[in-house]
Amino acid sequence: MMNWAAASPEIFLAVAGMAILLFGVLLKKENAALCTMLVLGAFAATFVMVMQTVPQTAYSSLFVTDAFASYAKLLILAGGALTMVLSLDYNERQGIGRFEFPVLMLFSTVGMMTMASAANLMTLYMGLELMSLSIYVLAAFAREELRSAEAGLKYFVLSALASGLLLYGISLTYGFAGTMDFAKLPDAVTGVDGVSTGLMVGIAFVIAGLAFKLSAVPFHMWTPDVYEGAPTPVTAFMSTAPKVAPFVVLLRVLIGPFGHVSVQWQPIIEVVSIASMLLGSFAAIGQTNIKRLMAYSSIGHMGYALVGLAPGTESGVRGVLIYLLTYVAMSAGAFACVIAMRRQGKSVERISDLAGLAKTDLPLASLLTLFMFSMAGVPPFAGFFGKLYVFLAAVQSGLWLLAIVGILTSVVACYYYIRIIKVMFFDAPAPAFDTRSASVSFVAIASGMFTLLFVLALGPFTGAAEAAARVLFG
Amino acid sequence: MISASAFFFYLFSAILLASAAAVVTSRNPVHAVLFLILAFFNAAGLFLLAGAEFLAMILLIVYVGAVAVLFLFVVMMLDVDFVQLREGVQKYAPVGAAVGAVLFGELWAVVLGWQVSPGADSLQGSPTPANMDNTHALGQVLYTDYVYLFQVSSLILLVAMIGAIVLTHRRREGTRRQNITMQQTRSVRDTLETLQVRMGAGVQELGILRPRPRAEPAEEEPRHEHAAGDH
Amino acid sequence: MQDGALPVSLGSYLAVAAVLLVIGVFGIFLNRKNIIIILMSIELILLAVNINLVAFSAALNDMAGQVLAMFVLTVAAAEAAIGLAIVVVYSRNRGSIEVEDVNLMKG
Repeated sequence: MMNWAAASPEIFLAVAGMAILLFGVLLKKENAALCTMLVLGAFAATFVMVMQTVPQTAYSSLFVTDAFASYAKLLILAGGALTMVLSLDYNERQGIGRFEFPVLMLFSTVGMMTMASAANLMTLYMGLELMSLSIYVLAAFAREELRSAEAGLKYFVLSALASGLLLYGISLTYGFAGTMDFAKLPDAVTGVDGVSTGLMVGIAFVIAGLAFKLSAVPFHMWTPDVYEGAPTPVTAFMSTAPKVAPFVVLLRVLIGPFGHVSVQWQPIIEVVSIASMLLGSFAAIGQTNIKRLMAYSSIGHMGYALVGLAPGTESGVRGVLIYLLTYVAMSAGAFACVIAMRRQGKSVERISDLAGLAKTDLPLASLLTLFMFSMAGVPPFAGFFGKLYVFLAAVQSGLWLLAIVGILTSVVACYYYIRIIKVMFFDAPAPAFDTRSASVSFVAIASGMFTLLFVLALGPFTGAAEAAARVLFG
Repeated sequence: MISASAFFFYLFSAILLASAAAVVTSRNPVHAVLFLILAFFNAAGLFLLAGAEFLAMILLIVYVGAVAVLFLFVVMMLDVDFVQLREGVQKYAPVGAAVGAVLFGELWAVVLGWQVSPGADSLQGSPTPANMDNTHALGQVLYTDYVYLFQVSSLILLVAMIGAIVLTHRRREGTRRQNITMQQTRSVRDTLETLQVRMGAGVQELGILRPRPRAEPAEEEPRHEHAAGDH
Repeated sequence: MQDGALPVSLGSYLAVAAVLLVIGVFGIFLNRKNIIIILMSIELILLAVNINLVAFSAALNDMAGQVLAMFVLTVAAAEAAIGLAIVVVYSRNRGSIEVEDVNLMKG
């Protein structure tokens, strides 16, 4: 039985995107800001629609709407909207303010929402490709700049290879099980004595493809270069919503259809997690460019979040969901501060450019300090709780090694986060930054408030994450 | 004695793999594109043997007709020194070969003893209907069961279109382009003129000159614009 | 092993696809500098996946594999278009399409 309404948020968003595209083409004038506003409006409407969806399976069980999908979609929409606000001012000042930018972000978001609702490997793949193809273009969007084109090229080549391998994995899984439906896969998987090598290779390829999008070690090599070269709002975008979508789909695939063979994938996740945590914290130490630093930071964060996946338990998944929530807020906020770093009309990116910021611009310095403390996992900021929940879940399942490595690398990571704070507060002041626009301040302050006050709203957020996590085990 | 279809399977496979190898090793990118086309043709043959006629034809139309031509177009357009690009191939060959060998070993072990799950028979999402040709069977599920993915794939193509335009389209100065508003608003009166022509009279004599003399620039202007509209 | 409508065993089809996949991956490593050949290698990888899908579809008597193969064709065409567009942008900025001497950004 077909139920079109299940995908109404996605359909609405896609149709709105096409309408805005048409509007942008027909309206000859400079209209990037207007189109961005319209896209933000569409996001807000979609947000409301997602909140009202009822749990159901639709489109011949290709598509599922449940609490887990809704949680992920709301997070994706929020992350996308925050970074889109950041693009408003930056794109205009950089001379890349074109209406296609928000439209591509919108289509990428449709892809991510499709991934969040995937109930079939085919849906997963199509959503992933819609997301990635838009991001390739966005990364190369500053087409007059060599490094942006280079970032786009690098991301494209490696990502296309990763997608190809993921797809090969999907084909092997299909060939073994005869189905790509998440609901039916467990039957095929449990029907055999032991585990077929073909299925194992298939799962490994699927994990590798998704780990690439998450920039988890050893599939992280693109991250620093692409983060540095892409326009900063695109970098901000890449480090928020497009991290959430592959992560939730990884959770859904590994816990759902492949939950019975967790013995097989658990070691892979553990190794990837430990390697990401280590690389994320140690490689970041020598960085001088803040965008590269954020790249290593995001590699590390994905490592921590994977700690919650390794046990394959409900409390672990809840931890991951909370981690992703706090991570999106912190990233959006931190990138708002990076976008605020402009001097004489030019964007600056070195950490030394932040020298003495506390004396020239105390509010910005305080906000960035807040995000750095939160990313380092200092209580009582949001980032602390994310780490707390995933580490607790790991300890509960006896995965002591993960928890210990996690805590040790957090301490190392503290060093480079606190170095930025030291540069801002104790170094001789560099010339002041240009006045920042209200939109950038808005994102920084909104994310800052969230990060600061998360502790007060811990109950509702944890409750929502718990309800979402329960779906996968129900 | 092998059957005819098995013979063709081995023939197509051999040519497919040989031309794929030629794609990645050829010195001249134009040759590489041509080998790619050959590879696609043979892959289409393999699809045919497996009973996927529609996909075989689509492979030819989409890949040979569009993608390979696009590749050729870019190769020709970019005017790149390809000899220089071959440098370093010897350096990378061992690494590539090592990675390839490991991957090959793994996959070989996996695929040769391929086992389908015993439950697979009952799990099919869309079983192939009997007594129906391939195109019909594909169409029957594509627009019903898989309509959501079909729409997503159309969005993917839209994104590719937007992407290609936004990245490469340049507004050049000094080119004449179509002005649709002007085209739509001009009336017959501005462009057409009915004259009574006397038999045997020359155009010179009647004053019908094309292009019109400069005396009437107001009508002259739009005509030129339209004629030179570039796309 | 049930081989459905295939003229040869399923394993033979899978073996051809596996070799094609390996050639594609090898091509990416071999032609690190030549981005156009890299794009073609990616096409070969996707072709390998399609052969797999079609073979499984025939062997399992299930249309889903062919449907996915069809979507993969679509995605591959879109990927080629975007990839070549990025290559064009890159070469306009740089005057060459060498990917390897990327010194602006260092890992």
